[in-house]
Amino acid sequence: MGSTAAHKFIFIVGIASLLHAAYSAAQHRAYLRITEQEFLSLPIDILIQGIVSLFVTMYGIMTLAGEFKEIRSTVDLESKSWETFRNCPSFYTFNHRGRALSPYYEPPQD
Amino acid sequence: MCAGRIKTAHRGTGDIVAFSESAVRNNAAVVEYCRTSMSALSGSTAGILGLTGFLGFGFYVFAVFGLWCLILLKAGVRWEKYFTNRRSLLTNGFLGGLVTYILFWTFLYGMVHVY
Amino acid sequence: MAELLLDPDIRVWVFLPIVVITFLVGIVRHYVSILLATQKRAELQQLQDSQVMIRARLLRENGHYLPRSSFVMRRHFFNNEETGYFKTQKRQAVSQNPMTDPSMMTEMLKGNITTVLPMIVIGGWINWTFSGFVTTKVPFPLTLRFKPMLQRGIELVSLDAAWVSSASWYFLNVFGLRSIYTLVLGENNAADQSQHLQDQMSGAAMAMPPDPKVAFKAEWEALEICEHRWALENVESILLGTQNPALEQPVS
Repeated sequence: MGSTAAHKFIFIVGIASLLHAAYSAAQHRAYLRITEQEFLSLPIDILIQGIVSLFVTMYGIMTLAGEFKEIRSTVDLESKSWETFRNCPSFYTFNHRGRALSPYYEPPQD
Repeated sequence: MCAGRIKTAHRGTGDIVAFSESAVRNNAAVVEYCRTSMSALSGSTAGILGLTGFLGFGFYVFAVFGLWCLILLKAGVRWEKYFTNRRSLLTNGFLGGLVTYILFWTFLYGMVHVY
Repeated sequence: MAELLLDPDIRVWVFLPIVVITFLVGIVRHYVSILLATQKRAELQQLQDSQVMIRARLLRENGHYLPRSSFVMRRHFFNNEETGYFKTQKRQAVSQNPMTDPSMMTEMLKGNITTVLPMIVIGGWINWTFSGFVTTKVPFPLTLRFKPMLQRGIELVSLDAAWVSSASWYFLNVFGLRSIYTLVLGENNAADQSQHLQDQMSGAAMAMPPDPKVAFKAEWEALEICEHRWALENVESILLGTQNPALEQPVS
């Protein structure tokens, strides 16, 4: 997918367009009220602008929301080396004879 | 470190597929994010357009379908890589989104058309 | 339906502020609950208990992969009458009443402060400041049954049920904005959910039932009646295919 900056821009443009449609609709309602006409439906250009900007914004959000990850668990493991994978902390053993190599090792007194 | 929790499921053919749970949760979170945004935005649009009654609820269904198409478009042809079930994408969180939708619908409708 | 003409000032000074206030209060509540949240410390004793329980459960469930002698040895460690872990460890019974535990009391109090208190205080304040306005109209027809729900604070018999009063608009916001918080604050926003996350971080220690004595007793019993059937009995011949594996499948 493309850069996020471009999609952020798309998102902002969509929101602005949606707000503009809202403002236009409010103006239209006010105009109708002043001229005392009956409200039937909005002019077609506002309708189209609203729906188009909805989908433009959604397209921006879809990209901003993040990428999907593959759900097969093998995908995660494929990139890892055997050294990382066999490192299992639950099976660590510290109580072995290697400690005799430590300079601070004190042999058992008995 | 063992990588995350792993969940298995039987595919129709009988072989077992292992799913990484963190990836599944990540995808669900992304879809949930999109769904909430879609509910709010489509509610706003419905309010701006001044839809009333069944037209508005129809618009919600339309928006949910549109979101479904967008998600499938984003996932691409190989949606099986990301989701276990295509239909649950459509139906999950339908009512939860409806509450948000109605709130924004009412809000924008009030802002634009009532006053 | 009679079309009401509302003053546009109501939109600017009542309708919009309620939305903004509700939203911001939700955000503030989120951060306050983060501030008030205390890290639950797992005690060493508790951690040890829960790990022992996990080990016993694992032995019970997967023990049939061990040779018989190994299984019996491990069970002996837990269940021996004189030296077994479950027999020797004596835990005093935990006091059952959470009211007597002061830390539990503060937890409950904090929970109430962050959830109930803003609801009451802000709701009351909004009711008091913005009372008695007809704020908006829901864009779909409603039956008269919804009238007391949506028109709290204005008792007008002739008003259509679709109109919403200011107090009810606040409640609509409280319920409707929940998913928006998820959007704005990210996943796991509410305090209780972040608490869950911390529990997972600190391991299974929190999964320990409150009374270890009872849990030990139950686990001891379960382990005692657990029958050992070695799953790998004929594994060599199964591997070589000399016997029908379907017949030799261990009964799990």
